[in-house]
Amino acid sequence: MTASTLLLRQVNPSWLQHGRITSQVFKPTPKDNERLSVYDGDQISPERSWGHYTTTLGHVSVGVMAVTVAECDARRLPVEPDPTPFPAHAVIRFDGFSNSQKEKSAKYLKRAAENRGWQYRADATG
Amino acid sequence: MSIERFLYPRLKGPRFEDRAIPLEFLRDLAVLEEMVVELAKLEFLRDNPNRKRSPKGFTEGIELKLTAIEDGSARPIISLVVASTALFPLNHQTFFERARDNIVKAIAAAENSLPVTGYLPEKTLTYFDRIGRSLRDGEAIEFTTPTSQEAAKLTKETRRRLVLASSRAQGMTEDTTIRGCVPEADQENMSFEVRLLDGTKVKGDIAPQHLDTIRDAWNGYSTGTRVLIQGIGRFNRNERLQALESIEHICLLDPLDVPARLEELRSLRDGWLEGQGLAPPSEGLDWLSHAFDRNYPEDLPLPFLYPTEEGGIQAEWSLGPNEVSLEIDLKSHTSDWHKLNVETDTDESRSLHLDNQSEWKDMVGWIRDMNGGEE
Repeated sequence: MTASTLLLRQVNPSWLQHGRITSQVFKPTPKDNERLSVYDGDQISPERSWGHYTTTLGHVSVGVMAVTVAECDARRLPVEPDPTPFPAHAVIRFDGFSNSQKEKSAKYLKRAAENRGWQYRADATG
Repeated sequence: MSIERFLYPRLKGPRFEDRAIPLEFLRDLAVLEEMVVELAKLEFLRDNPNRKRSPKGFTEGIELKLTAIEDGSARPIISLVVASTALFPLNHQTFFERARDNIVKAIAAAENSLPVTGYLPEKTLTYFDRIGRSLRDGEAIEFTTPTSQEAAKLTKETRRRLVLASSRAQGMTEDTTIRGCVPEADQENMSFEVRLLDGTKVKGDIAPQHLDTIRDAWNGYSTGTRVLIQGIGRFNRNERLQALESIEHICLLDPLDVPARLEELRSLRDGWLEGQGLAPPSEGLDWLSHAFDRNYPEDLPLPFLYPTEEGGIQAEWSLGPNEVSLEIDLKSHTSDWHKLNVETDTDESRSLHLDNQSEWKDMVGWIRDMNGGEE
């Protein structure tokens, strides 16, 4: 991974309203154990990551948004490969962040992803 | 002419304070007259079993009229007005009084979950489909008569028991407010279909004055345009909306309409987020919908609303350089406010209790300031 590597995040249908995603897309939830799962964009395309997520893993996603490793570095969020679940899996680590620090970082990452735009859209509605 | 106090129901509820009666309620009183007349005829036939019908002109010269409205929540005074005692034999008046008394006794029986058909023939119970239809939760019409001062309360629930006590009733009509989109409109037959947010489809007729709005909603179907419809709905015995009987108001909704979005999120089930993720509790969604309605001004930008993994709701606003979130716990009604200004890199966090109106006022003030400060 390099600074410009895209970190691909799947978007749950309920986390998209009228074309806008929630900052929760980039904030670890309790199930994430402080580590936000992403696809390493150097290893898999946005469309193929969506196919893996919805078909192999059986989850639902309306599309793929992305931030870069550099944008995570700017928020002091380490990014590291975590190929155990599958080879292209990586994590953005929020360990040691308070809830407000996580909120702040998630909002920055959401803005960066929005500015970059959809990397893949499963359909045009929502 | 003689004028005699006949029935003086007391209307209970905030809408009826200060002797005010919504005009829509007068329709209910008009149906009450129809019912009294029909029952008076049946009382006459009961006393005269050899007759097949009531005498010609049985009701001529007699009317029920609203003659006053008294204090004490609103209390319409309905009087029996007899134009001429020559046209209206005095003993006929007793049939009207018995009809009235039986209506009140049937309401009292329904209130106490007792059988009602001992007081009213089954076929006449359907009148209650149109009496009290505009009653809302917490409202009641209390009936007393000169012979019984104990109030019999007609509420949404007692009305339902009265209507459904008739085996002929397939369901009942009720005032209803729905939100949905319009996938179909047939201008030739002037009918249309609304798809509710839970996916149910119901049909209704298009009144000429609503045609433009329905056409706009149909044109905007693919982009998610929704409408708010207020009118009379026909419900089956399981309280499922079957059709729109009439429409009073229809308007296009803001794409971020809060009740519509919360209704949409009501369809989530546990496991919605990667097999985890709790569904927001239904009563919590009702509470939040009402809380926004009561406390959030119409002139401010509406929030985007998303579910949280723990079964809560997160409201978000993007206001210039500010990214704002309010994570709401639907059970405790507490919330966490977080605001980030990306230009100054400053953020602030607060806890707000959303049962506290002053905390809503604080929040509204902050949003207003970020939105330009104009009130």
